[in-house]
Amino acid sequence: MKIRKVWKNNMIIGFPVWFAIMSMAAEITAQDMSGKQIIQEVNDQFNPQTSYAKSKMTIITTSGDKRTLVSESWRKGAGEKTLVRYLEPKRVKGQAVLMLNSADDIWAYFPRTGRVRKLASHAKKQKMQGSDFSYEDMGGGDAFIDEYSAKRLEDEKVDKQACFKVELIRNPDSDQTYSRLVLWIVKENFVPIVIDYYSENDPTLNEKQLVQSDIRVIDDLPTAFKVVMYNKMDNTQTEVNVLDAKYNLDLDDNMFTERSLKK
Amino acid sequence: MKHPLMLSIFVGLLPLFGQEDVPVFGYYESQYMGREIGDNTCQLYSNKLRIDLEGDLSDRVTFGANINYITYNGMTAWNILELLDPFAAAEVQGGTESHFIVHFQDRNYLDNAFLKLAFDKFDLTAGKQQVSLGTGYAWNPLDIFNVKDLVDPTYEQPGHNAVRIDLPLTLDYMVTALFSPEDTWENSDKMLTVKGRLGHFDYSLTAAEKLWVLTDFTQVDPGTDYFIQLPERRRLYGFSAAGELLGLGLWSEYGYNVMESSNDFYELVIGSDYTIDSGTYLMAEWFHYSIGKTAVAEYGLNDWMRSYYNQRKAISKDQLYLYLMHPLTDLLMAGLSTIYNISDGSLALVPMLSYSFSDNVEIMGYLSYNNGEMGSVFASDQGPGGTLRARIYF
Repeated sequence: MKIRKVWKNNMIIGFPVWFAIMSMAAEITAQDMSGKQIIQEVNDQFNPQTSYAKSKMTIITTSGDKRTLVSESWRKGAGEKTLVRYLEPKRVKGQAVLMLNSADDIWAYFPRTGRVRKLASHAKKQKMQGSDFSYEDMGGGDAFIDEYSAKRLEDEKVDKQACFKVELIRNPDSDQTYSRLVLWIVKENFVPIVIDYYSENDPTLNEKQLVQSDIRVIDDLPTAFKVVMYNKMDNTQTEVNVLDAKYNLDLDDNMFTERSLKK
Repeated sequence: MKHPLMLSIFVGLLPLFGQEDVPVFGYYESQYMGREIGDNTCQLYSNKLRIDLEGDLSDRVTFGANINYITYNGMTAWNILELLDPFAAAEVQGGTESHFIVHFQDRNYLDNAFLKLAFDKFDLTAGKQQVSLGTGYAWNPLDIFNVKDLVDPTYEQPGHNAVRIDLPLTLDYMVTALFSPEDTWENSDKMLTVKGRLGHFDYSLTAAEKLWVLTDFTQVDPGTDYFIQLPERRRLYGFSAAGELLGLGLWSEYGYNVMESSNDFYELVIGSDYTIDSGTYLMAEWFHYSIGKTAVAEYGLNDWMRSYYNQRKAISKDQLYLYLMHPLTDLLMAGLSTIYNISDGSLALVPMLSYSFSDNVEIMGYLSYNNGEMGSVFASDQGPGGTLRARIYF
């Protein structure tokens, strides 16, 4: 197998989101790669050590109403540490979320009361700021490798792009929310442009679908500037538009502490 | 404008508006509160304008402040004696009745105004600032600065004059020292907290000292023509923890109080929460107050009044707070708080609704129904009440 990496990976928002947005262009002769090898290849490349992003999240509710949030996020250690700080709307300005240990530990800060609240892991499954992304979606780490078993399915084309189709089945001892995921990964660059998420309790029930597009090169790294999560159960969707992205930053570990959360 | 001070503040602020380094934001809040008292439905309306200033004056210097302006109309004078049970009211000294009338007067005040300096090794915050201590939701035994409103425990607390140093020892450990000045060093509040992390649990150890002033509402000081004040030194030693056990969120908070002249006492909170897959959030919190009373017959005038004026956290010994919240739609949340007074068997039910009208507009309302014998903390004869609040952030 010969893999020549042209693009390094980058990361902006969250683990599955990250997974989808971040792209690598790779010239590859890998028609016989297994599902595990494909996922490993993508995972190896989408976990930069540090990154920053400013993004606008638009939530479209069942009634068609829109709610817009602007946030900044910093990540370190391949998604092991994440700090998200909300800038808009004014209602949530200054609120911040710190996730450590790949979102196993979550703290939320509320500036009007000056209070930091630790959230238990059951909160990971809940909607973050009412969006269609959960805290777990926004976390990071190697969950696709450690928590799931990969199986390659028959290749398919998506928007005229030749894609690997890979199924991830949750390991029996895993506490991940999704029982199964199906990914369409562009062969040319290993970008997962579509991910289907299946119910925790019913592997046949497709609850959410994530679609990424508008790939632009930032700091020599391809970055998806548009990510949409469709919630098929609630008939809602959340669109994330990246406003700014930076990579390979010098982020001190002190940035991912309660002291920094309150700044 | 009715208040010259506010006019001058606004004029003074005008040059700051629009400057990127000191952004101006805040909210306007309109609130209606009603309550059945006897044959009347008593109503109080309020309008609150809060203007926040916050700016990073440099990489290491942050300034924050907010100015509040509140107006009231409707029933702006409430006679507490009408709310007390007859046994407690019987203790009122003749000629002091007027002291039991609470007036809601228009007011403006600077709630927070602080400077935060970020040194390499620590942060120093000086000025009037939020001080939030403890892990409890409805009660905080470690918090000797604030007492939460049980019906609305997440409402913002007033700022406190203090100098505070946050000194990280490692990534997981931090020491916080706080000094809140009063007229003398001896009378000033002091606090030291060490926060740390063990596995998935956060914990803290706290020691604090405060001049605690109790009022004896049954006796008048002839010198001041007001109730006798009973200051004494209060030393608190406590801990808190928050984490997860068997999939449930779990927290605890304990404070032992050594009192200079009155009896020592302790407070304990244990709480747990869980979010089920439907998005329904469930929480329970138990509060034990060792000097609390255990039966209605023991409740006296001082118990009621000290509780009303936040000089004590509760009247009775044991209380349970249950909370359920469920998203009815993307924009509409429904909740139900149940405050059960284990000691006297009374309870308050507080159903609530919260609606996101737009990005920066929230509307929320709650009702409160009491169910308990006469004289209990949540006595049925203390008729139903409710609050409707709209808040616009700008």
